[in-house]
Amino acid sequence: MTVSASPTQLPLKHLRRGKVREVYEVDEGRLLLVASDRVSAFDVVMRERIPFKGAVLTQLTAWWLRHLEGVVRHHMISADAEEIVALVPELQAHREAMAGRAMLCRRTQVFPVECVVRGYLSGSAWKEYRATGTLAGEELPPGLLESSRFEQPIFSPATKAEVGHDENITFARMSDTIGAGAAAELRRLSLLVYAQGRDIAAGRGIIIADTKFEFGADREGQITLIDEVLTPDSSRFWPADRYAPGGSQPSFDKQPLRDYLDAERRAGRWNGEAPPPPLPNEVVSATSARYLDAYRRITGHTLKTEST
Amino acid sequence: MSPSSGETYSSPLAERYASRAMLELWSPRTRYGQWRRLWLALAEGEKSLGIPISNDAIDQMRQHLDDIDFGAVAAYERRLRHDVMAHIRAFADVAPAAGPFIHLGATSAYVTDNADLILMRRGLQLLRAKIIRVLRALGAFAREWRDEPTLGSTHLQPAQPTTVGKRATLWMQDLVIDLGEIDYRIDALPCRGVKGTTGTQASFLALFEGDHEKVRQLDRHVAQAIGFKTSIPVSGQTYTRKLDAQVLSTVAGIAASTAKFASDLRILQSVGEIEEPFEEEQVGSSAMAYKRNPMRCERINSLARFVSSLEPNANQTHSVQFLERTLDDSANRRLVIPESFLATDAILVLMENVVCGLEVHPARILRRLSDELPFMATEELIVHAVRAGGDRQHAHERIRQASIAASRALKDGAARNDMLERLAADPEFGMSIDDMQRTLDPHRFVGRAPQQVDEFLNEIVEPLIGRGGGDDHSDEVRV
Repeated sequence: MTVSASPTQLPLKHLRRGKVREVYEVDEGRLLLVASDRVSAFDVVMRERIPFKGAVLTQLTAWWLRHLEGVVRHHMISADAEEIVALVPELQAHREAMAGRAMLCRRTQVFPVECVVRGYLSGSAWKEYRATGTLAGEELPPGLLESSRFEQPIFSPATKAEVGHDENITFARMSDTIGAGAAAELRRLSLLVYAQGRDIAAGRGIIIADTKFEFGADREGQITLIDEVLTPDSSRFWPADRYAPGGSQPSFDKQPLRDYLDAERRAGRWNGEAPPPPLPNEVVSATSARYLDAYRRITGHTLKTEST
Repeated sequence: MSPSSGETYSSPLAERYASRAMLELWSPRTRYGQWRRLWLALAEGEKSLGIPISNDAIDQMRQHLDDIDFGAVAAYERRLRHDVMAHIRAFADVAPAAGPFIHLGATSAYVTDNADLILMRRGLQLLRAKIIRVLRALGAFAREWRDEPTLGSTHLQPAQPTTVGKRATLWMQDLVIDLGEIDYRIDALPCRGVKGTTGTQASFLALFEGDHEKVRQLDRHVAQAIGFKTSIPVSGQTYTRKLDAQVLSTVAGIAASTAKFASDLRILQSVGEIEEPFEEEQVGSSAMAYKRNPMRCERINSLARFVSSLEPNANQTHSVQFLERTLDDSANRRLVIPESFLATDAILVLMENVVCGLEVHPARILRRLSDELPFMATEELIVHAVRAGGDRQHAHERIRQASIAASRALKDGAARNDMLERLAADPEFGMSIDDMQRTLDPHRFVGRAPQQVDEFLNEIVEPLIGRGGGDDHSDEVRV
């Protein structure tokens, strides 16, 4: 079992703890993001850690950002622990805690909008469509099934909720919040990056059904892609070979975990709320294997792990 | 990187080649952030040794290490025509309590030289990280192909076989030696410390009213605060530029190692044995549509030659530093030092990319080997012929004739080497074709190559590069 970096471990100012990520301040201009092996399902964070999950999220993001070099400005300076130590010598003694899972980033002024792009009708979008025939307030063609593929991917922004679920908002409301120019640019970049990601993943057996981007403005005011990019945690990954519209799809990464939790619920051993039931080792290692497999499929490389 | 507007010259190292981490290191922001840290270290040291600098002053400095207002600095610089003074004034604006003390007793070289040494040391560490990535990739390659026989080459002529993996260890070993050099250089690099205008520390001796021990303590305090084991024992105004020459020699050494790899790969690609990665839509030549050129390796050689051309430059700069200093190092170092690091960084990014995507063509390798193997086996054939009752001198002569004939036939267009058939057709030689074929298993000719690969990886490389945690894909190469 790998041990995740805990907030007190690094000699940097700890700014916040996300569901999965710890955010540290390096200095005025830089942040260190450290992805943990924490996992949540059905909105409940499990007690167990999923080995290498944090490294998969960080290195997959790094891989995408390198691919997007020249397409979109991004915040990554380095995701290599050795390089990070060279740039931030205070972290010298913490290579192990950072290995694979840490990313040194430029700091930005974050836009308070989740930039969701949907290539398939699923989740909250399916709920909205079923009720009103719309998505983010916009009319959609009638007769779509759950998990149908959209001809053109759809940009559907949401507010960033500190607690609970993000709320879908219209593009007009997004424009009011951050300005029409920035809103148009965030939409353009979100659709562009999603389209590239969807095409690459599709050729490798993974459907990226939808995803969520975050953007910030850097010191020069330039729009910059931040946070994690096209990872299983920021996106719905579906196994392409099992795709069948007309119902919900299995998750590429979390299905073993969901199946187990569903069974626990049906058996009356879990009420669906925190605290979660303990996870058997098989479920933990099957989930870890799924994350590593997603990384391998998309990048074409094996993530270096302790066992190799 | 955002594409430039195209209106003015911009460095291709920044626009196209170097990694974000290395570009960040040599940015004005990093450099001037170090200047502020150096002023803080100086003030803290002076305060601890009795100079009445307030806690407020120290706190204000500490709170404004990175929020440099470059507009304000530029405005001061236009007026004062002095970059260090402009930065002092801009720092004093945001840390007013420290204003009267910033840079107390120091000369410009205090911040410029110490910052250069900090940046070079970090630059070496960044290159070190990149070399480790390349070694990981090459290590995996060497292990995969540890026992794949391939034609050896001396004088660029066919020679006794080796293995594909063994050849990769030759490239790796050069980088392992470079790693040792980097580690030594990082360890041995002193800071300039606190030395004053001509290196005599006179201003600090005055500041501490003749207390020599306090001056020494301040020098040590600053060295420690900026993470150096030692401060250079004696200096003029600047640290001896010999240190730059040594660092750039280390960097140029890395470039040379990568250039040897890239040249080798270009040769191997020219005979179709191993090829660098090629994108599906990549165009080799605007005219010759079939072309698949080793452009990444060519770029490595191109940049490596640039880096090695900078190495003697540093020694030349050192040699013309008259007496306690001249300023004719300044503009030159501003280019030579960062560009050596940026170009070498770019090379290592390329090399990792190439190694991760190497395409080995075993059939082609075997084909070239098979053409030469009968010649390689001749010594053994003589021994067999004598054992079978033949005459050594006679066998030697027959082989000489048969090999010349077969070699000429190959050059004149024969599909394959028929030396063995020629010998088998000679009843006096006394060996059947099957007997001879058995001696030609290529694996019999590679000596300890596979074992050397294992030993080298396990005993030398593994302990150096550690394992795990990292990703094994390379930075994106803009082709």
